[in-house]
Amino acid sequence: MQHKKTIAAVAAGLTLAIGGAALMPGLGLVAADHLDPPSRTDPSVDSTPDRAADIADLFAWHDADNVYFIMTFAGPQATDQPATYDPDVLYTINVSNDSPRTTADFPIYVRFGAGSGSNEYGVQVSGIPGTSGPIEGSVEKTLTQEGATVRAGLFDDPFFFDLQGFKDTASTGTLSFDSSRDFFAGQNLTAIVISIPRDRIENGTSPIDVWGTTARIGGQM
Amino acid sequence: METNKRSIRRTLLMTGSLALIAGTLSGCFDDDDQQPDPTPTMAPSPTPTQTTYDVTPCLQQEVAPGVSVAGLIVPDTLTLDLSGTSGFPNGRKLSDPVIDVTLAVIFLDLGTHSATTLAGLPLNPPSNDVAFQSSFPFLAPPQGSPPVTTATGTTFTFRSSSPDQYTRVDRMGMPAVSTALIGSDTKVAYNDADPADDASGTFVPELTEQLTGLTNALADDLVAAGLQPCATATTAS
Repeated sequence: MQHKKTIAAVAAGLTLAIGGAALMPGLGLVAADHLDPPSRTDPSVDSTPDRAADIADLFAWHDADNVYFIMTFAGPQATDQPATYDPDVLYTINVSNDSPRTTADFPIYVRFGAGSGSNEYGVQVSGIPGTSGPIEGSVEKTLTQEGATVRAGLFDDPFFFDLQGFKDTASTGTLSFDSSRDFFAGQNLTAIVISIPRDRIENGTSPIDVWGTTARIGGQM
Repeated sequence: METNKRSIRRTLLMTGSLALIAGTLSGCFDDDDQQPDPTPTMAPSPTPTQTTYDVTPCLQQEVAPGVSVAGLIVPDTLTLDLSGTSGFPNGRKLSDPVIDVTLAVIFLDLGTHSATTLAGLPLNPPSNDVAFQSSFPFLAPPQGSPPVTTATGTTFTFRSSSPDQYTRVDRMGMPAVSTALIGSDTKVAYNDADPADDASGTFVPELTEQLTGLTNALADDLVAAGLQPCATATTAS
């Protein structure tokens, strides 16, 4: 199914009137957040890209029982590459459940650490409301403590987007998205998945605001 | 639910985001030229000028009752209304077609078109290449045959450094806001900032300028495609 489903159905005439350079003044709609900011994480721009601290995506949703958070990072990458567990990076999922919406009422901190044996890595998740201490254990293992569940590991990159279509649009001036073409298909990355009982986050009718940050000890690479 | 949405709106008004956006727009819709003069000057030009657009209606239109586009991207956070159904832009699930929805709400008149208009085509791939899992951890297993980390370890060494000893590298809230609506010159500052900076209006001029630039390039094409842009034309060649 490589035929183009561009948006010919919508418009034969969907041709940009001007060139790509003007379309994207300083922009790079590369992905959800993969390789952003480029000067710190994109190998085509930065000679010492910080892959480990490069957030790829952030997800947050809920059901009747839990609120779920996923932060993906260090990707996308080829499927023959290992996961990235960098003990010098602090991953934070900031959660606000009260006014002001811009203050993290409970930041959830995620750290990685080396194990005692070779090829052993652990994950530590602290700050989950309702837990008496950090959740710690091996990566690639589902860890449950006091109602919360976490897992860090290598996964498929869940993002889907026609990056090539965007690049083509920019360079040719013709909109040429192809919905059968997914740049992120067949690629992996590392992720942390967290499930928290909903009643520990719900605060009346207050909206829940979520944002992710990464930081490196000793300064940027 | 309505109370919740009113709360969101109230908070936004309190932070002044919308007021700042409106104030900034008045000086911004004329592209980069900083020409607030309401009377267009018809100076001779070697090339025809392009129609320019005012994106104020795009930022002010509501994605849901009480939730404006401006409110979605400023501050740059994922927002969950737990009383409502989960799914972008009420939070973000793995399967949500966030790029097509984002493009729709920032470019199309939502009074005419649904936020899922572009996702319905679809413009971009409508789903992931492999199926997500229906239960924890939800993500699909890694593809291929990557080296596998041993999962039997029990003793690990973690840094105990306090968060303030680390240096910020990256920040993310809404998908593609930092990548699509923040220009290269501002990306580092944006990633170093926090939602409180967003709410105070720090990046509103940048967001507005980038959206205006994209709209100026794409609006004619959207019209040609039978779509109604949310932006309004301010000058024409």
